Amino acid sequence: MALQTTTKASLLLGRCVPCLKQNASKFKVKKLELDTNLLMYFGKEEYIYAFDPQKLCKTGDIVLIEELPKKMTRLITHAVKKVVYPLGDITDPMSGKKVVAGKYRDYIEAVNKVYGEKRGAFKYDEAPPRGWQEGKRDFTHRETYIKYHESGEEDPYAV
Amino acid sequence: MNVARNILSAAQCISLSNITLKTICCRTYAFKSDLKIKWVRPEKIPCYKPEKSGDLEGMVDIDKSKPQLMFRESQELATADETVKKLFSLEFAPRNKSTQVYFSEIAEKVKRHPYDVGSVELQIAKWTGIIRAFQELMERFPRDKRLKVKLKELIDKRKKHLKYLRRWDYKRFEWLIEVLNLVYKPPPNKFHWITRKESLQKLTDKYCEGIREERLEAYKKMLQTEQPAFLQEKIQSLQFIQKEQQNCGVEVTVTDEEIEEVKKQLKKIEERKSEVNDS
Repeated sequence: MALQTTTKASLLLGRCVPCLKQNASKFKVKKLELDTNLLMYFGKEEYIYAFDPQKLCKTGDIVLIEELPKKMTRLITHAVKKVVYPLGDITDPMSGKKVVAGKYRDYIEAVNKVYGEKRGAFKYDEAPPRGWQEGKRDFTHRETYIKYHESGEEDPYAV
Repeated sequence: MNVARNILSAAQCISLSNITLKTICCRTYAFKSDLKIKWVRPEKIPCYKPEKSGDLEGMVDIDKSKPQLMFRESQELATADETVKKLFSLEFAPRNKSTQVYFSEIAEKVKRHPYDVGSVELQIAKWTGIIRAFQELMERFPRDKRLKVKLKELIDKRKKHLKYLRRWDYKRFEWLIEVLNLVYKPPPNKFHWITRKESLQKLTDKYCEGIREERLEAYKKMLQTEQPAFLQEKIQSLQFIQKEQQNCGVEVTVTDEEIEEVKKQLKKIEERKSEVNDS
C-alpha cells in the first residue's frame, strides 16, 4: 500500500542514510499509513535510492528527491533535486539566518564578542566544510556492524 | 516363492543400510563447512576501556612541581620560601588536585570566552577529562564497581551529547572531536549476539566473494593479453573485407576511419604495455 502511494508522489522529502553505492544515495522516506481497523495513521518508513553522481548528499541531510521518468536500474528510481537542510547547518527559511539548536548563530557570536572572544576558539566562518574528519575520527558516513571475527586487521566500522 | 521373498528382503536391507551410510556421511541437520575457514571469536572489550569509549589519548602527565590550582594566583606564595612552595606544589597534594589542574587545562582548550561555564563543548570537554582520569583509576583498581558504573554512565552521557552536537552544529562537532582527540562511531543498526554459525556463514560469504573477484580479475587480465592479437586480426579482416568489396563492385561498408580507429586503439594498448614494463 505504502509503496504505491509513495511512488505516486513525484517529489519526496527524505533523510539521507549511509550507503556504499558510488553514484547513488539512499534515503529514508516516512509516510503516514491509515490503519482501517483503528482509523489511525501510523508512520511507515521506506528506503529509496536516488541518482546522485556527485554525492551531494551526506548522511543525515534532508533532501528533495524527484522521481525519474524511467527507472535507471532496479533500485535507482529517483534523482536528487535539492539538499534542503544539511545536517547540523540549518538555515531558518523565514529570516534566512543560520541556526544552532534554538538560537541564531549571529546571536551566539554577539554574546561571545561581549564577553571577549578567546583565541583558538571555534569560528564558524573559518571552519572547513563538513567531512574533513570523515574516516579519521568521524565514522558516521558508513554503517557500523558488530564485530564478529578477529581477523587481525583493524576495521573502524566494526564495533 | 520363498526364495524370491528372501532375495527381496535382502535387497531392502542393503538399500536401507545405504541410506544410513549416506546420512552419516553428509548430515543435513547442522551446518558444517568443508572450507578451511577459521573463526576466532572476538574478545570482549569492557565498555570503560578507551578503545570502546573512543578516547585516542589518555590523561596527560601534569607538571608536579607547579602549585595547586587554588594557590596559583596567590601573591604570598609567589614571594614565599622554596620549601613552602614545595609544600604547596602538586607533588605533596592528593591526586584530586592534579586532576583538577588537568580538567581546567582541557576545559580551557574549548571555552568560547573566558566566562564560559555551560556551553555544550565545555560540558563534553569536562566529562572527557573526568573519563580519562577515571580510566586511569580503573586500570589500578579493576574491582571498583562503583567507579565502573560511574565511568560507563559518563561515557554514555558524553556520547549522547556528542550526538546532539552533531545534529545541531556539524562543523563545531568536527572541530571538537579534533581538539579533544575523540572518535565518534554511530551505533550499529541492529543488535544481535555473536554466534559461531552466523559468523561462519558471513565468513563463507566473504570467502566466496573473494574467489569470485579473483577469478573475474584473472579473466579480465587474460582478455587483456589477448587484446592486441585480436585487434591485429580485426584490422586485417577489415582491410580484407574492404578490398573484396571494392573488387566485387559492391557498396563499400568499411571506411578507412574505422580501420584507423582500431589501429589507434592497438597503439594505445601497446604504449600502456611498454609503460608498465618500464616501471
